[in-house]
Order: sequence, then structure tokens, then C-alpha cells
Amino acid sequence: MLDTSNVNYDEIFVRYDIVSESKEKPETIAAKMLPKDPLLKKVAEDVLYMKWKDIEASVKEALAKYKPEEVIDKGLVKGMDVVGELYGRGIYYLPHVMLAAKAMELGVKEAEKKMTTAMVTKGTVVMHVAEGDPHDIGKNIAAVLLRSNGYSVVDMGRDVPVDDVVNKVVETSPHMVTGTALMTTTMAAFPKIAERLLEKGVELPFVCAGGAVNRAYVESFPLGVFAEKAMQGPTLAAKAVEGWDYKKIRSNWDELMSGKA
Amino acid sequence: MMEMAIKRFTKMEYKNPDEMVFGEAKYPLSYGLGQKIGAGHVVPEINFAPRPDAGKNPETLRREYVDYITKDILERAVNIGLPAVQLENEHIWQMVNDPKRFEKPVVEGQKALMEKYHNEYGIALSIRHTIADPRLCEKGLRPGMDKEHSYPEKVIEAAEVACENGADVLSIESMGGKEVADYAIMNGDIRAWLFGIGYLGALDMEWLWPQLVDICKRNKVIAGGDTNCAGANTSMFMAGGYLDKDVARTFAAVTRAIASTRTLIAWEAGATGPDKDCGYEGPILKAIAGRPTAQEGKNCTCAHNDLMGNLIAQVCDLWSNESVEYHAEFGGSSVQCWLGSLGYEVALMNTAKQLKQDKILRDLYMNTDRYRSPEAFILAYDNAYKIGEAIVANSKSYYDRAKAAALTAATLIQEEASKKNGLRLSKMEADTLNGIIRDLNSLPDSEGKFVEWALKEYKKVPMFNPKNYGL
Repeated sequence: MLDTSNVNYDEIFVRYDIVSESKEKPETIAAKMLPKDPLLKKVAEDVLYMKWKDIEASVKEALAKYKPEEVIDKGLVKGMDVVGELYGRGIYYLPHVMLAAKAMELGVKEAEKKMTTAMVTKGTVVMHVAEGDPHDIGKNIAAVLLRSNGYSVVDMGRDVPVDDVVNKVVETSPHMVTGTALMTTTMAAFPKIAERLLEKGVELPFVCAGGAVNRAYVESFPLGVFAEKAMQGPTLAAKAVEGWDYKKIRSNWDELMSGKA
Repeated sequence: MMEMAIKRFTKMEYKNPDEMVFGEAKYPLSYGLGQKIGAGHVVPEINFAPRPDAGKNPETLRREYVDYITKDILERAVNIGLPAVQLENEHIWQMVNDPKRFEKPVVEGQKALMEKYHNEYGIALSIRHTIADPRLCEKGLRPGMDKEHSYPEKVIEAAEVACENGADVLSIESMGGKEVADYAIMNGDIRAWLFGIGYLGALDMEWLWPQLVDICKRNKVIAGGDTNCAGANTSMFMAGGYLDKDVARTFAAVTRAIASTRTLIAWEAGATGPDKDCGYEGPILKAIAGRPTAQEGKNCTCAHNDLMGNLIAQVCDLWSNESVEYHAEFGGSSVQCWLGSLGYEVALMNTAKQLKQDKILRDLYMNTDRYRSPEAFILAYDNAYKIGEAIVANSKSYYDRAKAAALTAATLIQEEASKKNGLRLSKMEADTLNGIIRDLNSLPDSEGKFVEWALKEYKKVPMFNPKNYGL
């Protein structure tokens, strides 16, 4: 093997991830965002620190003093807000978000037991992976993020035929539908779905994403809205629920993705 | 437990890592139209994908693959004087879903055109057909289980159609264990990965590969090999580059080491190589088995962005572009441009071989990326060799060798990162690595106990059904 003892590797590549590593601790950021009330704070912290084994007990304790809706909105959701902030700053990685979402889900279930009426979600999203495509990790991550942000998800799974997607949208009247594909040949199903939805008089944002999918392609057919990452799902869903149509989302896409709209 | 059809590796075919170099394998191969692999030179392997609408009907697909893509490749290969080219056709879903209508005309047509160019110019040519694996674990991975699509049966049929109609090499990117592997990545759980890829994936390979080898033997086709693209590349690409913050690159590195024990089973079932280009675990496999490996790096940036573009060329026998969608570029069609890029890189490697400078070039390739990421570091040929040694020394069960591969990779990274110069880890990479080593060391000693534990621990993983693995 060559003697490489004199190689200066800084001249060859730069570890920009280490250069720009956040020095802030989760606790410091959390302190500014968590609720002050000790019971709600404990609930939020169980989400933030992924204590899914403890969360049901913490929620029960909080329910002794607060209504279930308050425990969800002022405890669980606040914890998830901190998780989102840490993920956005690169302090938390995907597994932290997934485990926090699991804690959140368990907490919500516990709170729901005390509710007299069914939990009202922010909106409904139908999700699928294109026909012929078995790659569904992106869809699954996006589904977790949408659920933990308060949306109801109708998950149709993977390798879903065009007509099945169209029929499900007609049947459930969601605010948004999503499709993902890893391969260029499978993403060809997306314009067909859009076309058939329009034939049936259904107009809603159709968010398309995945390895082979790009913005130019998605914007080449009606209804199509591009998403680059799973974490953009809740932002797009929020706009769909607000009543933005696909054209408005498209024309504000850059601002939306950079958090300016 | 291992079936009798699988003859597992218990010793290293290479005596030491320095013996390994690109363009030479212990067991070279001759096949196709005058093609020789691992026999003293590297061969470019050009891969392609049809445009989105090409799969509309069998004729549009045949035209795209044969009249446009294959013709363009062969024209350019001759035009720039390439002595040898291997094509790889990674089949799209239509070709496995309806092999006789969609797959057969493509396989036949590509071979006929290759024969024409071989006869006219003498260029060495071969084609690898990589059948698709659309099996869905929620429907069933084994025959008789998927009543809706019959995908397990169709995978075997697609292999037969490829082998009977013109394939020189047969490969697949098999999916077994992916549902648990995806769960492992999303939750940062290395024990789940060990179970999903190291054990369940191994069981699926044990079911699949003896059948593929049998089909190849009957048709005198080379049984190439597999890749853990569905698992370890998902992990690698989610770990991504320096701006990506989803999966720690130390996690991806250890998943790669485990994946090598799964991919190896194709060769243990009788496949001979070359393995699949996107199996970045290839250097580990080659160190163990001495069989030719296809690899991809800097000349596949049309499809993959990895942190080892040069390093991974170090011991390759075929050098690939991964895949590129067929479209026009300034310099010709995309397949022509990327073939040119591959062809010139391979010419550099082969000139180095002629001038006996190949080990210098190997080390230059390797050193440019050795410390760029933990995954590149463990795949550097000296470290790949050490992981190979751990695998063959722990061959009594799939679990044992997968765990040994994982711990060896993790320890190599940890030791190197503690040195002053060389590999550096971000805080997340270091923390994740410590967690991985802790988790692996907490596991039971025997495969039986591990499987008993894992079946309970992961029984709620979405879509996981032990019956898919004969459990």
C-alpha cells in the first residue's frame, strides 16, 4: 500500500457537516419552547426525549387536571414542535423523529380514551406508491410525519393501480393525495391519475415525490405538486386544507419550501 | 440453519488484501460474444432506463430498448474504439409482470443487434439481464401466497424467459428482508437490521438463488449475483452527503457490512459472479470468494451520489454507470455519453495494468475517499478484507457471521476515529456508533436465541410476516 502519511486530506475533501455542526444542546432549545406547567411539560418531554414507554402514565397524570384536547394541544403537540425544530437544525435525525412520533401516537391514544367525541384531525390525506413500484420507505416516513402533525392518513400501500387511487379519492374526499415512485417508468402513472380525477370532476393537490420524480415532470400535468422531502408533507397539507389549489401551491412553491409563505 | 444447496465460505480466497486489484479475479469468467471478465482487464458495464412512457405496450418498449438504446450504445462503443462492453438491462415492472409479451422481444432483440456488431467489428460484447423483484411481503414472498399478482411465480418465469432468449448473465436485486430493514433505518435500530438483512434476507436468498442457478445451468447462462440495493443502498442514500441529516453515516456503514453476508449467499448457492454493480459490498465479497465484482462510483453520478466515487473502483472487474434514463444530451444520447465516461476510465485502469502500475492506481483511487465517510473507510480493500475474515471465521450461522461483520466494521471505524489524523466522525456519527456497538454486544450468543428474541421484538413491524421466510 502507498505511504500516505504526508497526505493533507483537507486539500482533498472538507467535512462540511463537522464544520457546520450545531453546538446547541436539545435541552437549551427545548427550554425556550416547552410548556411551563409541570404536568404538560412532562408530557411534552416524553415526546421530545422519545420516552414512549413512559408517555401513557404521563398523559394519565395530566388528564387528572386538564381536558384531553388540552393535553394533546398544549403537551403532546408542543413536544413534537420541539422535535421538528431540532430536526430542522440537524440536531435530531430521522430515527429521533420516528420514535418521538411513536410516543406522540401513544399519548394521543391515551388522551382519546377520555374524549367524548371523536378527535378532529386537521385534514385527510390519501397516500400511495405507484403501480409496479415496491419502494415505500419515503411514503411511510411521510405518513408518520403527517399523522404526528394531526392529519388523518388513508395509506393505500404500494404497487397501487391507477383506478384504485382514483376510486379511493372519490370515496374519501381527502384534502390532498400523494404518490411516490422510485423509478421513471412507474411515475408514468401519475399523469394518468390526474387525468382521471379531472374526468370525474375532482380537483385537489396531487403531491408527487420519490427518487426518480422531479419538479419539471410533476408540473407538466394538472394537479401535480412536487415534494422533495417527506418533511414537506405537513406544510403542503396545511395549504391544501386552507383551500389553496394546486396552481396556487405551485406558484408559491419556493416560498413554501423555504418557510416564507 | 443452512440448506444443503448452500456451500458457505469458510476461508478467504485471497491470501492478503494486497493481492486484490481491479481487473483480476481468482476465478475469471468467459461468456457472451468473446467476453472475458476478471481476466486481466476491466470492462465497462453500461446500464440504462427507458423513458417514462416507453412501457406503454410491448412494441414501444422493444423499440426503446433495442432500436434506440442498444443501437446507440453499440455505435458509440465502436466509434470510440472500446475493445469490450457489457450491457446491463435492469428490467422494469412490465417485463416481470408479463414476461412473454414485454420481456422476451426485448431480450431477443438486444442480443440479435449485439451479434451483428460483434460479427462486423469483433468487439467483445455481453449482456446482463437483471430481472425485477416486485414481490410484496404483505401479499407473500413465496409461491402460492400472492393470489393477487403471483409475483413470486412471475420472478422465476422472468428468469427463465431471460435465460432462454439471450441473457449472458442473470442477476436480480432481491427484496427479502426489506420490510424489517426499512423499519431498522427509520428507527435507527441496528438489531432490527441484523434480523431483517442478516437473517431474514439470508433465508430469502437461500430460497431464491438455488432456483436461479438451476435455470442458468439449464440454459448455459452465467449466474451473476445479487446486491442489497434495496437495503444497504437505501441506508447509504438516506445517510447521504454532508448536508443530509436523516441517517448517521456510521449506521449506513455497519448496515453495509451486514448486507455483504446476505449478498454472498448468491455465490454460495452456485452463482459465479460478476455480482451486481450497485452492491457496494462487492469488495468484501471479492476478498472472500475471489470472484469478479461489478462496481460503480464516479462514473455513475447520473444515478447515484455516493461518498466513494474513486475508492470503489479499487478492485472492480466491471465498471458501471448504475443507470441513466434515455434522453438527449449535447454529446449524443445519455447512454452514449455515460458509456464514453465509463470507457475512458476503464482505459485508464487497463493502461495502468499494461504498465504494471495498477496497484498504484488502486491505492490512489482508494486513498482519495478512504476518509470521506465511514462507509468508504470500511470498504477500502484492506478493511473489506478484515470484514471478510470475520465473516468466514464465523460461518456457523447467518446470525453469527452477520454480527461478526457488523462488529468488525464498527470497531474498525471506532479505532480509526480515535487516531489523530484520518477518519473523523460528527457527533451524531460517533454517538450512533457507540449505540450500535452497545446494541450488538447486548445480543445473545446463539442464532436460535436471537431469532426467538427478534420474532417477539419485531412482530409488530408493519408488513412483517414470518411465513414469508418459512418461519
